[in-house]
Amino acid sequence: MDGAGPARHPAGRRLLSLALGLAVLAPLLVGWHWARLGWRDGHRNYPARPSGYTQIVNRFGQPCSADASKIPMSWRASDNGVTYSFRFHKKLGGYPTAMVSDKGGTSTNLDNDVYGHIQNDHLQPYIEHGIYGYVCRYIRNTTKWSTHAFGIAIDVSSAEEYEGKCTSTVNRYHRHIWEGHGWYWGLAFCDPMHFQYATGY
Amino acid sequence: MRLRMMIGAGLVLGLTTVTVLATVALTAPEPQPYGPPVGPRMPQDSGAGELLVVVVGGVYPTRVEAQEANAAMAFGDLHGYYVVPVGQFQGFEQQAGQPGDFALVSAFRTDEGAQGFAALATSFGHPATILPERVRSLGGLYAGLGQEANPDGSGPLLGPIEESVG
Repeated sequence: MDGAGPARHPAGRRLLSLALGLAVLAPLLVGWHWARLGWRDGHRNYPARPSGYTQIVNRFGQPCSADASKIPMSWRASDNGVTYSFRFHKKLGGYPTAMVSDKGGTSTNLDNDVYGHIQNDHLQPYIEHGIYGYVCRYIRNTTKWSTHAFGIAIDVSSAEEYEGKCTSTVNRYHRHIWEGHGWYWGLAFCDPMHFQYATGY
Repeated sequence: MRLRMMIGAGLVLGLTTVTVLATVALTAPEPQPYGPPVGPRMPQDSGAGELLVVVVGGVYPTRVEAQEANAAMAFGDLHGYYVVPVGQFQGFEQQAGQPGDFALVSAFRTDEGAQGFAALATSFGHPATILPERVRSLGGLYAGLGQEANPDGSGPLLGPIEESVG
């Protein structure tokens, strides 16, 4: 009678083994951080965040300049697996760190710190397709330069967080990281894909 | 007596608070939602007489159809194509469209500018064909000229270059 119990419930034993395995593995998985690969928040040489057009030009130079598109970066979207390549201003990244090669930039802001925090905090699943940076282009239906033309704006998850949508479904999970590193989130003007290193413009 | 004094003091305190709040509300600046741009408007340069590189997003028999197609092509917060009659570029009809058609275009003075915009349009999933030959601008509607980097790295290219005046 005693020996017959487990033999009568093989599915139950398998379930128990699975549960025990998960109980052991889960803390290990949750405890993994990108920092183990050598990443550290450098927080080096951030420029002061400008407000308004004049300060933007004084701090970052003319739109469409060589500096505005100096630093290349790639970022993989989690939903479709496409890796997007874009460029941004040399004052916002490209400084050599354990995770970023020397690209001639002067700070660790975007490619090391913001990107690293998002990876380290396991928020990459909330980076969806449509990731853009520098573009020498006007704001829609105007002849005024977009912050993208200065290389100080990044669009993230652009298909999901489209312009005109006044709520956020994915970028809200990592907005605090951008904001904690000097970026202003465009949700305030119903453009939740948009993060810019400037206010008042 | 004490009760009256307490009521009086409460009234004075309340009135003071209301006055202070009202004053602050009147003098404080309105919260500025970041977004409305305050930068300069750039001139709408038609590049009349110049040989330009044109990126084409589509050609349509009527202006309305072209405008509808353009409205459906989102470029985020950026301006994408411009609707112009194909006749405002000499040599356009030999490469695309028919006389009287309207096209979605963006014009450039450099090949690099055209290639960059074509790549952007493609990444948004929109059609983008660079006309194989430069076309001569006859003036007319604004077609996006000026939105490209000066090859010297100083900023936007806002005037003719050797290739565009040849």
